[in-house]
Amino acid sequence: MKKIILALFAGTALLFLSGCGDKPKAEVVTYKYTPAEVYKATCSHCHGEKGEGMAEKKGPALNKKTLQELEMELFDVKNGGLGQSTATEHEVMEHNMKKLSEKGYTYDIKAMAKYLFDSFNIIK
Amino acid sequence: MKSNKIIEEVLREIEKHEGVMSRRDAMKFLAASPVAASVLAGAATATEAKAASTATGKILIVGGGLAGISTAAKLTHMLSNPDITVIEPNPKSVSYQPGQTLIAGGVWQKSDIEYKTEDFVPKGVKLVKDSVVSFDPKNNKVMTASGTEISYDYMIVATGLTLNFGAIKGLEGEITSMGDNEIVRKKVGKNGVYSIYFADGAVDTYKGIQELIAQAKAHTGPEKLQAIFTDPDTAIKCGGAPKKIMYLTHARLVEAGVRNKVELIFCPSGDKMFGVPEYHTAILEQFKQRDFKWEYKTNLVEIDTDKKIATFEKKWLEKGEYDEDLKEYTMVSMSKKVEKKYDFIHITPPQKASDIVGKSPIGSSKGWVPVVKETLQHVNYKNVFCLGDVAALPMGKTGGSARKQYGVLADNLIAVMEKKDKLPSAYDGYTVCPLITSIGTVMLAEFNWTAKPTPSFPLDPTQERWIWWLLKVYALKPMTIYGMLSGRA
Repeated sequence: MKKIILALFAGTALLFLSGCGDKPKAEVVTYKYTPAEVYKATCSHCHGEKGEGMAEKKGPALNKKTLQELEMELFDVKNGGLGQSTATEHEVMEHNMKKLSEKGYTYDIKAMAKYLFDSFNIIK
Repeated sequence: MKSNKIIEEVLREIEKHEGVMSRRDAMKFLAASPVAASVLAGAATATEAKAASTATGKILIVGGGLAGISTAAKLTHMLSNPDITVIEPNPKSVSYQPGQTLIAGGVWQKSDIEYKTEDFVPKGVKLVKDSVVSFDPKNNKVMTASGTEISYDYMIVATGLTLNFGAIKGLEGEITSMGDNEIVRKKVGKNGVYSIYFADGAVDTYKGIQELIAQAKAHTGPEKLQAIFTDPDTAIKCGGAPKKIMYLTHARLVEAGVRNKVELIFCPSGDKMFGVPEYHTAILEQFKQRDFKWEYKTNLVEIDTDKKIATFEKKWLEKGEYDEDLKEYTMVSMSKKVEKKYDFIHITPPQKASDIVGKSPIGSSKGWVPVVKETLQHVNYKNVFCLGDVAALPMGKTGGSARKQYGVLADNLIAVMEKKDKLPSAYDGYTVCPLITSIGTVMLAEFNWTAKPTPSFPLDPTQERWIWWLLKVYALKPMTIYGMLSGRA
């Protein structure tokens, strides 16, 4: 019985206190290529040189999306959905992204979203 | 004082369920436990330690659920002259939704989760029983259902989301977990169709499981009864609940000795059990151990409740032509409709932002309120912030997420009120899913946007444990209701 209650409160305590303490620093991920390099080498083949989209490649335009939309959608692409068992909205691109990642063409989501928005957006 | 209240409530919960431990024993060990002492100290001083801000301005909070009230309370602690108004139409908006799984599992009653909003509105905060019908963020005002115009200097959007049963052909209604639900209950909550996503629905689900057991006891023949558990293609609150109810149904069937008469099938829209690989693997193992079946990319789109047939859209990828640019075969998205007969179906409804929010200037093409995901500041209106289920944030729509968000939001809002350029606090996407895996075990899945486990406790987070069951059943509710709603934990 001692064990139960101690464990229970130890667990609760840590759970609720974890927000107050020093957080362990997230591990630093380094990328082989910059977002611009990744875009030029891969994305541009289907989304166009300026993110205008390419119907024949079924690559949608990226140049009318807000920064926030780009970030959410890239998150969906890279994580294969935004929930536990919820479908991705980018079924084909999720598959392509996995293949590209294997070849080193991956990126930080925030950095890529910013690159796309700053470089291509036409309705700022 | 508040922390004593939390401990008091934990003890009360333990007392309600005999056999866990006596109140005297619990008190003794609490007093002796240095960890418990640190909870008290932490909860009592966490907010007082911060110097109060003298910034002023009229703060309007739209939505008085867990997220809205916790934020109101936090701001009350942090501002020396708070001017806060909360608009909330539902008198029981702070009810404890995470308890709905436990109601369906027959562990709790509906009364265990019902809490009155008025009891938790912080002192000095004005509660307006009304609902917003339109937003005018350019002019810093909203219009309410009663025709009142309310202006603000700063607005916090915490409306929560709606359960869109009507998006499934054959069902009707868009409801909330504690609001009116007759329209949905015309077809859900009876005849084998259930949903724990609203409180009354959870009560019905418990009855439904009893009916399934009775049906299984009477069942003969080689074909098993079919129990289906769905998970839609929209973002949902509590991503674990569609599975939790499956585990609980399994537990009750085993207990009744009829598990071998029923096939349990999980049909999610996606192609995995969890976005965090470690948890995905652990859940798959748990599914296999329990002889659960699953069909990925199988999304409920239609139901005929008379014939007991559910129609799913099944998707898959087929190999297309070789693409020279990609240096890979292209993939073609395919889909077809699949009909399944059911004896019992648990529906996790598609979910959305209410159109009043989603289609307003503060909404977005997908409805959810677009915020900078770290600061929770609206992308277009710098005096507007958003948190909780209605915010456009990846992964977590849970009370656990809101618990990490409201402090961040309060810090950042105050920085804006103080005309500072830099917003000091950042949310990292933390969320927690106490995945109930049986009556008596929980896997405490904590994670954030790195999609890696982020356990608060030095224990393997992929294991099902009894202590997390105790945490879920006895401690999390008092912590939430008396810790979080008061803005202290």
